[in-house]
Amino acid sequence: MSAGVQRGEARTRLGRWWQDWRFHLSALAVLVPLAALPRYYSDISLFTGDAGLGSGEAKHVQVGPFDLQIAEFWLTAPIDMGVAGARKQFSVSLCQGCEHRIRAIHARFGKPRSLRAAGALFSGSHVRQTADLQVPPSVDSSDNLWLTVEEWDGTVHHGDIAVDQVSPATAAWLARKEKQQ
Amino acid sequence: MTIRKLTFLTATLLGASALPALAHYPFCTCEAHGADVICTGGFSDGTSAEGVKLDVISYEEDVLIPAKFDASSKYSFQKPEGEFYILFDAGPGHIVEVDWQDVEGIEQ
Amino acid sequence: MARLWLLLHGWLALPVWAYVFFICVTGTIATVSHEIVWLFDPSVRASQPAGIEERMGADALIAKVMEQRPGSEMQWVSWPVETHFAPTVFVSEPSGRGVGLYVNPYDGHVQGEAASVGFSTFMRALHGWLFLPWTTGYSWGWYAVAFMGIPMLGSVITGILVYKKFWRAYFKPRLRIGKGARLFWGDFHRLAGIWSIPFIIIIAVSAIWFFVEAILSDTGVTVSTAGIPTVLERESIPVVSQSDDLPPVSLDGMIATAQTAHSGLRTDSIFMPGNAFDPVQIFGRGSYPLVFESATIDPYSGEVVKLRRVSDYSVVELVTNSMRPLHTGDFMGLWLKVIYFSFGLLLSMMVLSGMLIWTKRTVRETRDILREGRAGRLEPAE
Repeated sequence: MSAGVQRGEARTRLGRWWQDWRFHLSALAVLVPLAALPRYYSDISLFTGDAGLGSGEAKHVQVGPFDLQIAEFWLTAPIDMGVAGARKQFSVSLCQGCEHRIRAIHARFGKPRSLRAAGALFSGSHVRQTADLQVPPSVDSSDNLWLTVEEWDGTVHHGDIAVDQVSPATAAWLARKEKQQ
Repeated sequence: MTIRKLTFLTATLLGASALPALAHYPFCTCEAHGADVICTGGFSDGTSAEGVKLDVISYEEDVLIPAKFDASSKYSFQKPEGEFYILFDAGPGHIVEVDWQDVEGIEQ
Repeated sequence: MARLWLLLHGWLALPVWAYVFFICVTGTIATVSHEIVWLFDPSVRASQPAGIEERMGADALIAKVMEQRPGSEMQWVSWPVETHFAPTVFVSEPSGRGVGLYVNPYDGHVQGEAASVGFSTFMRALHGWLFLPWTTGYSWGWYAVAFMGIPMLGSVITGILVYKKFWRAYFKPRLRIGKGARLFWGDFHRLAGIWSIPFIIIIAVSAIWFFVEAILSDTGVTVSTAGIPTVLERESIPVVSQSDDLPPVSLDGMIATAQTAHSGLRTDSIFMPGNAFDPVQIFGRGSYPLVFESATIDPYSGEVVKLRRVSDYSVVELVTNSMRPLHTGDFMGLWLKVIYFSFGLLLSMMVLSGMLIWTKRTVRETRDILREGRAGRLEPAE
């Protein structure tokens, strides 16, 4: 049969090997999932909370009467998400018993101007909630990460922590950004 | 999209180990055109912001212009006097704040 | 012309046959992965204890689970469409760990914990995106797998073009056994091919859609008409001194309210609010089983704030949302999964037989060429 994909007419040993084996080389693609497997498992354990609050070390932040713990979700600088800007994720854990009083926790880079503008909102359980923050272009390394707690009775509290405390990579990213300006 | 929902996806539908990847981010970008400021809003998945609240608020916390995004997911207004910020407000947690200094092309 | 189509047919799959084979095999296993788990893990089964006739309502079921897992918070619950599977109640434990619990639907007994990466999750992730991470958009693995829908569709089309009057084989099937591997695999490849034309087209077209969907998502284009996410207004939330003073939430009550608003709504899963401004969501398969209907409920007032029925979807959405269930075959119950699994095996065998045909041909041609080569070398000596 002469139609179809031809074997070729190589005469050298290497050429013949190539002709016989070239179409089996895609089996090497199996190495890709093998290589990706450890990262996959570590990501999943981060999602389920098996790996702790976040990738970063959890730090205490006092917000009014509440002692919260915050950790960065990934140990990376903010990720550029196009129109949605540079994004950075954090997770928080409430003090024991505080879940009965705390209605919501918001987070923002820089001091919030009002409750409406308190920033991203944490979602999840009282032991582990996460939020996805935009880093506004005007934020610089002198701005802290601000948390706003709303109580069920309407009381609002603010608290802050230095960015380099909770995310050294973000602090370095902000410093780099300033240098470029 | 919250990590909780992603965990659900992880377990059932997709198995995606995504965090920002599948999110439904609100966004708002503003540009200065002469005396006017034009803001474009929306959600990162492509959903329009039509009907979403957009307030222009002074640094003294007075709402200078209460508005809503139009059918083209935009809103334009005359640049107010003094310092202000623009608040895209689709409800708690679904906000985007644009400081006047972050308005593209504005005279500082 | 047929020779050109055959050449194209060969080039479409042959150079990557092992990769395509891998995708087909993992996909085939993924279609029945839940059933495999069912066979080996009794905790996922909805076995009926003696003396109990009725399945528990949502509130009673969750209350029973909470009794066994004090301090945990329920995040979502899902009742599999195949009722021989136990419902999953996903809870956040006091340690912060989230875990799915398999619960007996008759007595609420927690039968076991779902592994964070169970067998079916593992197979889907392997088949769907080769475990590659999703960081700023769709995983590269997703693209790499979904892209193969294009050569697959091309293989069906060129295969049909090569094999003129292919419908004849439906009436006069031919599978020559015992006349050499080359003839057997050739017959098998053609026979399996023409019988799986509809299946391969479904798999290929849905895969191409997954590819397009990823591109659309990564460029911020949506075909969804779902609209702006529902967020409860701060002013609408009751002011109380503590969360314990809030009116109790009844899942059964919310299911009933949702069904009053839309009588056809099924309850396949319920998502609890992630924060104080988040609504409760009930999802269920619609009368058109390839899309999900949903009711969004304000947990404080118990009212339905948004409904999404089959009739609320656009035609484009109905088509595109059907692609995933069409690809996986998990919308009609076990019998369809078995059909998908069988055709999946057949498709995997076709990839393999296609390669074998080429190899057999190659072996023969190699022999010819070697013979010529030897003859060539011998020439000067003559």
